[in-house]
Amino acid sequence: MKWWLTLLHGARALLDILYGATIYEMVRDLKKERSQREHLFALVVFGDLLGLPVLPPYYTLKILPYIVPHLPGWRTSLLRERDLTDLCDQEIT
Amino acid sequence: MNAMVILLIGVAAIGVGYFVYARSISQRVIQPDDRKATPAKMYMDGVDFIPANRNVLFGYQFKSIAALGPILGPIVAVQWGWLPALIWIVFGTFFIGWVQDYGSIVLGVREQGQSFGALSYRLISPRSRNILITFIYFYLLLIMGAFGYQVGFGLLINPAVPLGVLLVILVGLIAGQMTYKWKVDILVTSVVTVLLAFVGIWLGTQAGVKEFFTGLFGITKDLPTGPTIFLSVTLAKLIGSLLVVAICYFGAILPIWRWAQPINYVSFWIVTLGILGGLVGLLIWRPGMGDFPAFTTFSVTGLGPLWPILFVTIACGAISGWHSLVSSSGTARQLEKESDALYVGGGAMFFEMFFAIMAFLTATVAFGSFQGYKEAGAAAAVFSKGLSAFMNQWGLDTILGQGFGVAYGSVFLTLMALTIMYLVVRFMRVASAEALGDRLPALRNPHVGTIIALLFTLLLIWIVPFLQIWVVFGAANQLMASLALLLVTLWLMSKGKNYQWTFWPFVFMFITTIGALAYKTYEAFFMNLPNAAALAEKNKLTVGQVTAANIIVGAVCLILIVTALMLAWDAVQAILRHRGQKASAAPVSAD
Repeated sequence: MKWWLTLLHGARALLDILYGATIYEMVRDLKKERSQREHLFALVVFGDLLGLPVLPPYYTLKILPYIVPHLPGWRTSLLRERDLTDLCDQEIT
Repeated sequence: MNAMVILLIGVAAIGVGYFVYARSISQRVIQPDDRKATPAKMYMDGVDFIPANRNVLFGYQFKSIAALGPILGPIVAVQWGWLPALIWIVFGTFFIGWVQDYGSIVLGVREQGQSFGALSYRLISPRSRNILITFIYFYLLLIMGAFGYQVGFGLLINPAVPLGVLLVILVGLIAGQMTYKWKVDILVTSVVTVLLAFVGIWLGTQAGVKEFFTGLFGITKDLPTGPTIFLSVTLAKLIGSLLVVAICYFGAILPIWRWAQPINYVSFWIVTLGILGGLVGLLIWRPGMGDFPAFTTFSVTGLGPLWPILFVTIACGAISGWHSLVSSSGTARQLEKESDALYVGGGAMFFEMFFAIMAFLTATVAFGSFQGYKEAGAAAAVFSKGLSAFMNQWGLDTILGQGFGVAYGSVFLTLMALTIMYLVVRFMRVASAEALGDRLPALRNPHVGTIIALLFTLLLIWIVPFLQIWVVFGAANQLMASLALLLVTLWLMSKGKNYQWTFWPFVFMFITTIGALAYKTYEAFFMNLPNAAALAEKNKLTVGQVTAANIIVGAVCLILIVTALMLAWDAVQAILRHRGQKASAAPVSAD
């Protein structure tokens, strides 16, 4: 029974490796693009949290409950210091 | 020496290297703690910090680091004999390669996912960040020259190859359309597009197509390489190089999901099936090396002395600076647990060593003799013919027609090169816009930045011979590796950990790379330039071309040497500073 499970785990690991080498980057890039648009929306709507008042708070407070869980990640992403070498996560060897 | 023995040596090196040496360093020095949150879990911003499963990350890391470097490097390096090349591939990875990749990931994870630019600024000196950017820029420019030369001047001038490449690109575009617009299941897309790609490569090998390209290139009985247009550039080479530039232009300008990603996806399957097919053929055939010498000569014409040139000729198959950037900017920000770092970083590098050994075998065993290897042509031609010889052991050419194997190997390499080249151009466009966009607003236009990068590429391809570009490219790459090893050393020093396992590899790589650059500078200015006329006649080039090539190579080497010496000075200051901090932090004994 144990060898069968080991084989199954091994097959699963191989599939994950194949996924990582093929589709993962496409999925990651799509998720990044979606997140960037969400962050842009949050910046426009809740820019006053970073000192950039864009829209009157009366309207934005209505959607505040939906955006609160994403606020920490949003702030980190916007305020993180970026470097040219951040672009180096591509396959160039 | 039989190919199976070489493969077993590779497997044994992976076994001892990963399971004994690397694991011991990880457990005794780094001491990964899965209770600590990695940056991916701590930040999870959905943009850069996204945790991923270790196996997925392994596949991602391997695909990011494995390209033409581990293929072309060993094939060029066996000119010194198979033994020095094999020793460097195995021991280089064993003691230095995995250390750099793993150390870079650990540094990124433990330092909140900071990139190497920021870490250089903080741990070494503010100007070391600019030095790193300089290394990166030259590295990327030289990659364009080296890969562009092999593809434009080597692979695409074979009349059986261009149509196959163009059709695979078209199939890639179809894959993008199917996936992103038509929302077709990825499995269906993969099967359909890979089959179409095979059909495309097969179509390229048909007599009518080959005749068409032969006519287009102006190849006749009297002119077997076609007419020369200018310098040593024949019509075939001109068309090949312009095709490379055109493909890179679209890859750099169009949205990544339209061109780069789907073509990369289809190319991955071509490459993977090629490697598997070659490995199966190798296991069936089990060839020996024939009379391929273990050692030929200390100094090879056109390359230089074994030390230091061998160690920059084989870069990615043993150690490559670019891996450290991929590891710190990409992988470190996706690691789920600290203990995954060794499996992903170290494991992927050891696997790449195996990839380099496969390429090494295409040069040493596929042709049956050293003479056969020398007659096979340039490095890319050696690989495609060697891979074809392996795949023919299970009847590839019998099934799909004579010449399919070589065409397949050529398309394999061309796609690997092109998929990297247009990403490089994208990077260069963004880098030049960031660095010079304020002073030269035109550079902010993506088309302008792209065209400038591609013009530099054409200049390199047309003027500088491949071997000269390749060695300098390897040197720029290894300087980045030295900087990465220095960063990891300084970090280990600052944490009071054992740093010998990174410090001595740094010293070796740094001295060797400076030596290689110094030799290439001397060769360019004091050996080649004074004898430009004789060299031009020997290599069928013009005197102007030889002069220009050696001035370019010499100048690039000098710039890299100067920046490397500046880095050395900053490194010494940083090491003394960190050791001083450690001493002052030690408790004072009561007298």
